[in-house]
Formats: sequence, C-alpha cells, structure tokens
Amino acid sequence: MLFVHSSLITEPDEETGHVGDRIGRSRGLAIDGLSASFDNARPSKWRRLVQRSKLSHLPILAIIPARNERATVGDIVGDVKSCVGCCVLVVDDASTDGTPEAAQAAGARVLRLTNRLGAWGATQAGMRYAQRHGYRTVVTLDADGQHHPLELPQLLAVHRDSSANVVIGTCSERLSNAKRLAAGYFRLITGIDVQDFTSGLRVYDWRAIRTLASREASLLDYQDLGVLMLLRKKGLTLKETPARMSPRRTGGSRVFSSWLMVARYMMHTTVLCFAQVGARPRIGQRVRGVRSSS
Amino acid sequence: MTPPITAAIIGIVLAGTILLLVRRDHLHGSFALWWFAIAVAILVLGLFPPVIDWLGSVTGIYYPPILPIVIGIGMILIRLLKMDIDRSRSERQMRRLTQKLAILEQELREARDLLNIGKPEKSPAENTLADNANSQRAIGGR
Repeated sequence: MLFVHSSLITEPDEETGHVGDRIGRSRGLAIDGLSASFDNARPSKWRRLVQRSKLSHLPILAIIPARNERATVGDIVGDVKSCVGCCVLVVDDASTDGTPEAAQAAGARVLRLTNRLGAWGATQAGMRYAQRHGYRTVVTLDADGQHHPLELPQLLAVHRDSSANVVIGTCSERLSNAKRLAAGYFRLITGIDVQDFTSGLRVYDWRAIRTLASREASLLDYQDLGVLMLLRKKGLTLKETPARMSPRRTGGSRVFSSWLMVARYMMHTTVLCFAQVGARPRIGQRVRGVRSSS
Repeated sequence: MTPPITAAIIGIVLAGTILLLVRRDHLHGSFALWWFAIAVAILVLGLFPPVIDWLGSVTGIYYPPILPIVIGIGMILIRLLKMDIDRSRSERQMRRLTQKLAILEQELREARDLLNIGKPEKSPAENTLADNANSQRAIGGR
C-alpha cells in the first residue's frame, strides 16, 4: 500500500515537471528524486528492492539497426562484444552492400529484413526478437559509428541504478541549434523534457521492450518522440544521461539532412503529438507500473 | 419533353459494369456491397432524373442538380478515407510480417547450423539434388 501512496504523491509533481535545461532534469529524474527522498525516510529497503529487480534484468541484447553500413558495422559489433560481453543483434534493413555478411563475420546474430522498413522498423524487429527470446534489457545503438560502445557499461549502470524504464544517452555538445529549437518546441507541446529525442543510444527494460514490440508501435517511423510518447502513455519513465558521441563516420543524419526533410519531419511529428494529446497514463496504470517495477 | 437518354445510358453502363464485376467475384465482401449500392443508385438516378428534383425539394436545396454531385463527392471522400485506413492496417501487417519473417529466418538458420555440426558441408543445392535422387530411388524401388 505504501507504494500506492508514493506514486500518488509523485503524480502532481510530474504534472508540473521541471523545465530546466540541465541534463538529467527530465521527468524521469523528477520521479527518481522523489523516490530517493522516500528512500531516505525508509532506509535502503526500497532501494534494495529496486536493485534486486534490476539484477533480474541481466540478459542483455544489443540491437544495432543497419542499412548499408558495411564499413563500420563489423568494428562496432566487435567493440560492443568486448565492452559489454552481451549478445549483439544486427538488424539489416534490406542492405545492398553486404552489411549482414560483415556483421555475421564479426560474430553478431543477424536479422535480415526482406523489405526496407526504416530505422524504427528494424529496431522493432530487434525488440520482438528480444521479447521472444526472453531478454530483460535492450541496448540500441547506431551502426554508423557515432555511438561509442565504450559508453555502454556506464549507460547500463545508470539504468541499473535508477528506477527509470528507459535511459537515453545524450551528447549535448553535438546538438545543433536546429535540434535544440526542435526539442524546445516539442517540449512545449508534449511536455516530454528530453534534450536529444532522436538519440539512438538508449537502454530499455523489459516493460519498455514489451510496449515497443506491440502492434501499437508498428506504425512509428523513427526511434524518437513517437516512441517516447508511447512509453509515457504506458506510464513508463525516462531518464537522460550524458554520453560522448563522435560525428558519424559515414553519411549524415537521415532526419536533419535538409530543410525540406526537417520541415516534413516537424509536421509529421507535430501531428503525432496532437494525436497523443490527453494520452497521459491513468493513475491506475501508473500504480500498477510502480508495483511491478518494485 | 425529350427523354433523358444520355443520363440513362451513362447510368446503365456504369451500373452494368459494376454489377458484372461484382458477379465475376472481382470485388469481395463489403466492397461488393458498397459498389452494388452505388450501382443501384446510379441506375435509379439515370433512368428517373426527376428523382433528383424531388430529393431537392424534399431537402430544400435551391438548385437540385448540385445534389448528386455533392453526395457523390462526399461518397468519394468517405471511400478515400476508408482506403487510407485499410492501407495503414495492411502497412502495419506488412511490417510485422517482415519482422516475423526475419526472426524466423534467423532461428531457422541457427537451428540448421546446430543440426549440421559434425556433418560434411553441403550446399543447399546439393542437398536438394541428393534428396531428389533418394526419392527417385525410392520410387524406382517400388
């Protein structure tokens, strides 16, 4: 019953939210902070429960969606394997340059999509694989070399130690002004306080995997706000953490490549946002969420 | 008063085409029902144009000939909307099928690799040839 009360207390705070620009002052952390103060009132029992539940998340799957990334995918698979030691799944989005062979040679499992489904379609295939094979934690990263596998252990540790369902790795130095502006705009209309909402460097727990493997998530196009809004609708919590990234070794951003694409993307996502208005989690859902994560 | 021969011809040809298509099973289920209703409506309006004037006076429309056009455009819009809904649904199904296919293919490959441990390497084509030869021998034996 105490859990129910704690979640009811956190509810209004989440409504007001923090609008700070500092990394980590996301809604997920706002809840974190409260559960931490709750933790102080009842020493360590709550924390231990959270820890124990997080330990059961151990089987980790790294999902790397790849389309025509033969030059980099092999190195990244190798690095992830040596840094985290987890199973690596490369989802080949109908490449034409031999990406799946390169990934397989580097020791990854490979899903080969027969039709091009886009970045999110490929990632979701990985999510469904993870759900089917009972992985409790999923890490996603891009195949183009902008995410360092060296950052993964730290990201996983943040995920393990916090009660957030999803941890997003953000590189604030790398954010362009256009992206900051877009983030501010979307924060205004959705209330999701995430700096880098297009970051593909994320850790998901099993509840997030279950949500994202569902039919509801199949018509999304990017691993971005649509995904975050769906997660929030299901009462899951987000947390951002700083991570080092480098410029892409090959190719440019698919979304922010030209102004026309940006305009199209912004309109598309705005419609998505308005379609989700009023889709906040009901209190009942949230209570259930807090219970099952404890 | 000249008989409205043009309207009648158009109505009969359109309705006849649709009915023929429905009868030949080119359209199934709810589509057939929809188009059947459209065909009947076109036939009635083509053969008895005064129906439009009567409808206009009933609904209080000042210029009745606009009525079938407005209704027609409305129907087209509804139809288009329905088509886009159906397309979204089949897009979702197509994506999920593609993902499932990839997952099953991966599992199949893995299972095959497990089964092939310790056996001499054979290409799939050779396997099929050998199977064919075996089945031929079996048939010949009988």
